[in-house]
Amino acid sequence: MPRSAWLEQTLWMLAAPALALALTVLVALPSGAPPLQTLQVLLLGGLGSMSKFGQVLTVFVPLMLCAAGLLVPFTARLWNIGIEGQVVLGAIFCTGALMPFDQGGPAHIALALAAGMLGGALWALLAGVLKTWGRVHEIFSGLGLNFVAMGLTIWLIFGPWKRPGVASMSGTETLDMSLWLDRMGRLASSWTALALAAAALVMVAVLLTRTQWGLSLKAVGQNPKAARLFDLSPRRRMLQAFALCGALGGLAGAVQVLGVYHRLLPSISSGYGYTALLVGMMASFRILPVPFICLFFAVLNVGSIQLPLQLNLDSSFSGVIQGLMVLSVFATQGLRAWLIRRREGC
Amino acid sequence: MIVLTDIAKQYGRVRANDSISLTLEPGRIYALVGENGAGKSTLMRILAGHTVPDSGTIAVRGASHARLTPALAASLGVGMLYQDPLDFPALPVWENFRLGGTARTRVQVVDKLGELSNHLGVCFLPDEPIAALTVGERQLLELLRLLDLGATTLILDEPTTGITPEQKRSLFGLLTRLAREENHTVVLVTHKLSEALEMADAIFVMRQGRLVSRLETPCGEDELVRLMFGEAVDRAGDVPPVSAPQTRRMVLDRAVFAGPKYHLGPLNIAAAPGEMIGLAGLDGSGQELFLRGLCGLDRLAEGGLELDGRRFERNDFKTLHKAGVHFVPADRMSQALFPDLSIREHILLAFPDQAARLEEFRREQCEGRFNLRAHPDTPAKSLSGGNQQRLLLSLIPDGAPLLLMEHPTRGLDAGSSLQVWEHLRERCRDGATIFFFSPDLDEVIEHSHRVLVFYDRMLVADVPRAQATVETLGALMAGKNLEAWHAA
Amino acid sequence: MHEFALVLAGILLAGAPLVLATLGETITEKAGVINLSLDGSMLLSAMAAFALASATGSPWTGALGGMAVGAAAAAILGLTNIYLGQSQLAVGFILTLLCRDLAYFLGHSYSRQPGPTFGLWGIPGLSDTPVLDALLGRQSPVVALSLAAIVLCWWWMYKTVGGMRLRAVGESPRAAFGRGIRVRLTRLAACLIGGALVGLAGAAYSLAVKPGWGRPQGCEGAGWIALAIVIFGGWHPVRAAIGAYFFAALQVSGIYLQELFPSVPAQVFQVAPFPMMILTLLAVNLGRVSFVQDMMRRYPFLKRFSGSWPITSPAALGQDFDPKKGL
Repeated sequence: MPRSAWLEQTLWMLAAPALALALTVLVALPSGAPPLQTLQVLLLGGLGSMSKFGQVLTVFVPLMLCAAGLLVPFTARLWNIGIEGQVVLGAIFCTGALMPFDQGGPAHIALALAAGMLGGALWALLAGVLKTWGRVHEIFSGLGLNFVAMGLTIWLIFGPWKRPGVASMSGTETLDMSLWLDRMGRLASSWTALALAAAALVMVAVLLTRTQWGLSLKAVGQNPKAARLFDLSPRRRMLQAFALCGALGGLAGAVQVLGVYHRLLPSISSGYGYTALLVGMMASFRILPVPFICLFFAVLNVGSIQLPLQLNLDSSFSGVIQGLMVLSVFATQGLRAWLIRRREGC
Repeated sequence: MIVLTDIAKQYGRVRANDSISLTLEPGRIYALVGENGAGKSTLMRILAGHTVPDSGTIAVRGASHARLTPALAASLGVGMLYQDPLDFPALPVWENFRLGGTARTRVQVVDKLGELSNHLGVCFLPDEPIAALTVGERQLLELLRLLDLGATTLILDEPTTGITPEQKRSLFGLLTRLAREENHTVVLVTHKLSEALEMADAIFVMRQGRLVSRLETPCGEDELVRLMFGEAVDRAGDVPPVSAPQTRRMVLDRAVFAGPKYHLGPLNIAAAPGEMIGLAGLDGSGQELFLRGLCGLDRLAEGGLELDGRRFERNDFKTLHKAGVHFVPADRMSQALFPDLSIREHILLAFPDQAARLEEFRREQCEGRFNLRAHPDTPAKSLSGGNQQRLLLSLIPDGAPLLLMEHPTRGLDAGSSLQVWEHLRERCRDGATIFFFSPDLDEVIEHSHRVLVFYDRMLVADVPRAQATVETLGALMAGKNLEAWHAA
Repeated sequence: MHEFALVLAGILLAGAPLVLATLGETITEKAGVINLSLDGSMLLSAMAAFALASATGSPWTGALGGMAVGAAAAAILGLTNIYLGQSQLAVGFILTLLCRDLAYFLGHSYSRQPGPTFGLWGIPGLSDTPVLDALLGRQSPVVALSLAAIVLCWWWMYKTVGGMRLRAVGESPRAAFGRGIRVRLTRLAACLIGGALVGLAGAAYSLAVKPGWGRPQGCEGAGWIALAIVIFGGWHPVRAAIGAYFFAALQVSGIYLQELFPSVPAQVFQVAPFPMMILTLLAVNLGRVSFVQDMMRRYPFLKRFSGSWPITSPAALGQDFDPKKGL
């Protein structure tokens, strides 16, 4: 009995990626993309060399930070779609904090990182307040604020913070090297950033599973009315959840500025917030799978840069694969439940 | 003629219906009695096609079926009226009547509706949204709709909850006419024995999923009770005396509570420690808002609240909670418990300062004092109704001065209900003041020192135990005899 | 006056796709299903419509293709939610990202290519009335489609039994089931019809209002606005259409306002719809905030203002229903 149950379990676990693979091939056909070769380009593009892997790590860090952050509001059943805007605001605050300085050191970097966390937290609190006091669903407030954040960035880049001379889409003035994050040898990624991402995951995991605060948050997510009766201050806790997630998102934005681009760009968030939401959904917001899925998605993202160069395909293919994977998880989940219900003879 | 044979339905581990067989003949009125959870509603829902049985057959006029759908049951002439009318609140009367029925234009619907309601002497405005009607009116409309669809077997599930005595009289009159003059079959599902005895030709008694007996009326109420509960029910005895009736535990001074749809007040009431005060009133008369306002879930718009001498101008939930005011809602799963969290986690959330000695504390509370026998890791959603209530009660700290119970015995069997009342009385003996509401007037009368009656969003009477009878309270609840009462 | 009519004509055109998308989502939500994939599926439909139109040379074929794609995306959402029990919000959100990426990926080769458009229709005999002539004399067919859609949608929803059943399912799936209405099928049908209208909206963008395909196309963000307008319009087709034209007016006037106030950064006008969306959502919910309720109790005349724009969602919006569980 246990043997066949184990077999069934494994089969279902493989069903989702298998479905995703099948769908990906199906989708790639019309654009004339040779499936195996595309996969090869993708994986090699991400893992083919140490420097490429370094790139993967630079994508991994903000993804990880956002995904770790999203675990918190999701425990309270909140959909923090505004994470994109929180990343952007983090980047803005970080850049703004460094404006007065031409040069600096670790202290300035720490200040900038903290500023980024503050920016993200404030932007998240805005969505949170709109939800708890104004009853505006966080999906809409989050989306609206995302667009506002993007508009804000463009205005800053073309307005008050424009480069001397010509304002350009390539962003603000590049920061002095003394204000850059450290590097791992010749790799693009930074030890500090990696450490921050790891610390964020550990902190969130501990917070959610081992503290009274985490338990209260879980309760609030399950039943806000009962939470009120237990005197758990559901509103305050939801705001705290938003703020914490926003802080981590803002940190991701600051890391992007300090470690990757060294200036503020229009597309500073690179859609990492939305991708992190996909990561969370694919992991069903369980903590353990999150870092692995983040890594996989990062490989896909970096690998897809090679697609236009080598195969004349659009780089959004990585997004297609990611979307299909998460969709497959939901589809197989649903199929499994449906089959169970049928078997129980309804 | 309807014959149910060996109907069985299981929900998880609970056998809601265990091999039930019965026959319903045309032209007769039947009552299906049993306490909460006996399986009455399940059986009738199977007959109406709203639920599918695990096994058994339903034979209507000779034709046998393994299962019915709502459409099929309707074509066979079976119609069911739910306690909570199954209609569309936001849609107007005429659309509610039209949906699921014969193809008619709006004009035809209005005509037909007029014709049917004239018969009964009622009036429906075709474009009024259903939400504006009273429960009794909605029920009547549903009944008309079912009759129009050609229902010859009418099942009414707890039809008299939430309607005025006058509406009840006309409903019963209509049902009697339908059975005697038009040869319809009527089945009343109820837990009110007085109504069963008043209306039915034959009574089916269900207990714990089984059909235990079929009695022809007239029959003795005691025998019915014995069949329903299995043994003589110990009446709980008299209420414990109030030790210090002059002390004022809680005072409301010209208080107005503002709820989401209406406001209640001004209220002027005082309560002493050790008093058990029952609330009576039809749905929406204000008793819910009263309880919610007292604990701070709804706002105190005007006036003041005094608790043990301490005056509150604003009823902030947190402050009141810290001062010892505890609210226990009727709907446990959706408003008071966390479905996926375990017993242990609930206790940890309610008593965070006991975290260090949690296991010991839990054992004391659950097994020692509240008789909650379940594994500490059981999620709340898997607990039985009785255990859920025990858990909720165990989460209220000892010595809490003011308890507000929305419906302490909702969904509980007789044994668990008794335990709950025993526990509440003990708290009263220790000095707690308890306000409670129950839709069952007998329960309210049995356990109260006094009864506050609500009607039409106002507190209309404060009735001492000696004068609290079903007739008196029933009349006041329906807005009758108000002047007479106040003059007395 | 003539100037004004031309501006209105511009609003009718710019608003046409928004109206179509909003009507489609209103139908879907009226049955109780929230389709978050609007933004992505509009892009995918726009791309598909353009591609198909380029391949066949006919914009009408392209429009049909767009409708099919929109319906297909909605079908995925409908099937996974209604029959497989997965969360509407989750699947809808995944689809919106997936469809957008699919659109960019599959549309790669069509980027910045010229292609067929709908052209303009003239209604002869309007030259006597210059105002009407300016408004409708030379307009894109999508305007006619959108106006027809408003009328059809309203008529079907409130004057036919099919529409009544749809509304019933959105109010109380249990009661509808009890009346013998096929709840799941109705919801799926609402998804498909709504999705087809959204697809048509996408086609309207790439074949008329913002012709062509590229990355970006220009209609990014429109789907989210449509979702907000559905709420703003109280789930009523005509009011939703008014809301859509209102937002289109904002967009169109943005260009004029920019000329009037050159010192205000362009971004303010571009992102203005979104804070407006948040503000309208706030205003919608304002009636339920306790402070406001207090004021209304003290000054009853205020009630008249709050009552005029009733915004109650379909009672069962977002709630799943499983007829197997019975009633």
